[in-house]
Amino acid sequence: MNSTLTVRKIKSHPPSLVSRVLSVWFRHYRVYTQNLISNGFPPFLEPLFFLAGIGLGLGRYVGLIDGTPYVIFLASGIMAPPAMFTATFECTFGTFIRLVFDKNYDGMISSSITVRDLFAGEMLFAGTKGLVFSASVLCVIYPFKLISSPLGLLAPIGGFFTGLMFAALGLFITSFVKNINHFNFYFTGVVTPMFFFSGLVFPLDSLPPYLQHTAEILPLTHSIRFFRAFCFNHFDSQFAFSCFYIIIFTAVVGILAIRRLEKRIIS
Amino acid sequence: MVDNWGLQMKKLAIKIEKVSKSFMGLKAVNNLSFEVETATCFGLLGPNGAGKSTTMNMICGKARRDTTDNGTINVFGYDPEKNELDIKYLSGIVPQENNLDLELSVLNNLLIYARFYGIKKNDALPRIEYLLDFMELTEKKDSKIRTLSGGMQRRLIIARALINEPKLLILDEPTTGLDPQVRQLIWDKMRQLKNDGVTILLCTHYMDEAYQLSDSLIIMHNGKKVLEGNPISLVKDNIEPWVMEVNTPDKMADTRLQGAQRIERTYSRMMIYADHIDELNQAAKGLEDRDYMLRQSNLEDLFLKTTGRNLNE
Repeated sequence: MNSTLTVRKIKSHPPSLVSRVLSVWFRHYRVYTQNLISNGFPPFLEPLFFLAGIGLGLGRYVGLIDGTPYVIFLASGIMAPPAMFTATFECTFGTFIRLVFDKNYDGMISSSITVRDLFAGEMLFAGTKGLVFSASVLCVIYPFKLISSPLGLLAPIGGFFTGLMFAALGLFITSFVKNINHFNFYFTGVVTPMFFFSGLVFPLDSLPPYLQHTAEILPLTHSIRFFRAFCFNHFDSQFAFSCFYIIIFTAVVGILAIRRLEKRIIS
Repeated sequence: MVDNWGLQMKKLAIKIEKVSKSFMGLKAVNNLSFEVETATCFGLLGPNGAGKSTTMNMICGKARRDTTDNGTINVFGYDPEKNELDIKYLSGIVPQENNLDLELSVLNNLLIYARFYGIKKNDALPRIEYLLDFMELTEKKDSKIRTLSGGMQRRLIIARALINEPKLLILDEPTTGLDPQVRQLIWDKMRQLKNDGVTILLCTHYMDEAYQLSDSLIIMHNGKKVLEGNPISLVKDNIEPWVMEVNTPDKMADTRLQGAQRIERTYSRMMIYADHIDELNQAAKGLEDRDYMLRQSNLEDLFLKTTGRNLNE
């Protein structure tokens, strides 16, 4: 232990990009796991309510979908929305509160962290949460034998990419928001309709063509297709297109969002 | 590292030349130049909106200076526009507003912050132990931030800013809202840091704080530097050495003010400045003890003289 505050560096260079981004991830992880019970509880219970309420209740009135019982159809997409919601909340309300109310970012960028490291780490954390939330849904539905293919066990990877994609979109929205209530527009105007028109609760081909095309624009449609491909072990050209969509969307929106936030934070 | 700046010859830590910063056409900082020597404390004073915080933000890369007028900023040989990360790596910043992670313990706050600098847990732990002791917070190590008083949070923020053994410590209003005991403790620690070779940039509204700590300072007003020097000679050279504060101006007959060099009047008070105490003693005759106070003039008097008594907002 040193006895005086001598000017001696523990290390002589700023940490590497990877180390900086991971340190932001680590900060979010530590804060999040402080309230693990209340934070980790919903992803295990919500899918059960959803499957019981919609799948079993409504399923009795719905016939087979492409030869699949309704509850199985539903279960194959149900890992996607929790990943979307957790990343969206993290990078809208969460980001806004850290940015404006708690001023955490101000403290973080005072250390050897740049604004870009900060939001890259934040996206990575949202992706991780997406992965964990999807995986917890899988844990709940797997014992009910609702996933037929063993490849379905790998489906939560889709949660990671879904988390990243919605983190990018959430940050992009947040970069415009000056008043926290304005998120209502995003949730009611974008997130909620996306939930219904992305092929989760009914197959898209039952929609009129113009709505089918609209659904192809929505990010959640591609997440759900990703999960279904794993659950049914069915990888076709549509799956390839969805993977491509997810990568491009995440990269473009993510870069735009970080640039805009950088301008907002650094005057 | 960049010898032609002359940083090493004069042992400067910071050199700022002709720097401006505009917000929507309004100059928050206007053609500002100053130098800070290594291991000294440099005070940035000025009323709200004078451009102090903007200046600090430009130094650590949180604000970008105007590129139109070729101003330069040099911190240990680095330019914040290009080497923001290197400067931040060598600096510790105490922000005006506390921004600790309220949910976490004192220890976890510091561990997470150490990680931002790439300091591993095993290296960080002894350093944290030392800093908690230095800031007299050892017994609060496992407490949640919510349970700490304002003074403790402030001390912790300073400890946090020291985790990377900074060469430059940037303090933005470090003791606002703290009781005298904590303020004195913080001042004492800052002097100790200075002796250990740390350069301190201090932004404050407290004139006694600036007077106590600063080796040299500037007073800013409307984005411009209006005075520069060391606090003792600034006061000596720029303002009458004695002042009488009169609480009952109507009791003062004008005939008794002949010895005064300068008089300032507010709604309820009168400030009489003079070169010699005798003249003020003479003027005080006939006044009761609680009607007036006779004292030496200080940095605050000078500050008010240079920046005016009007509100700046």
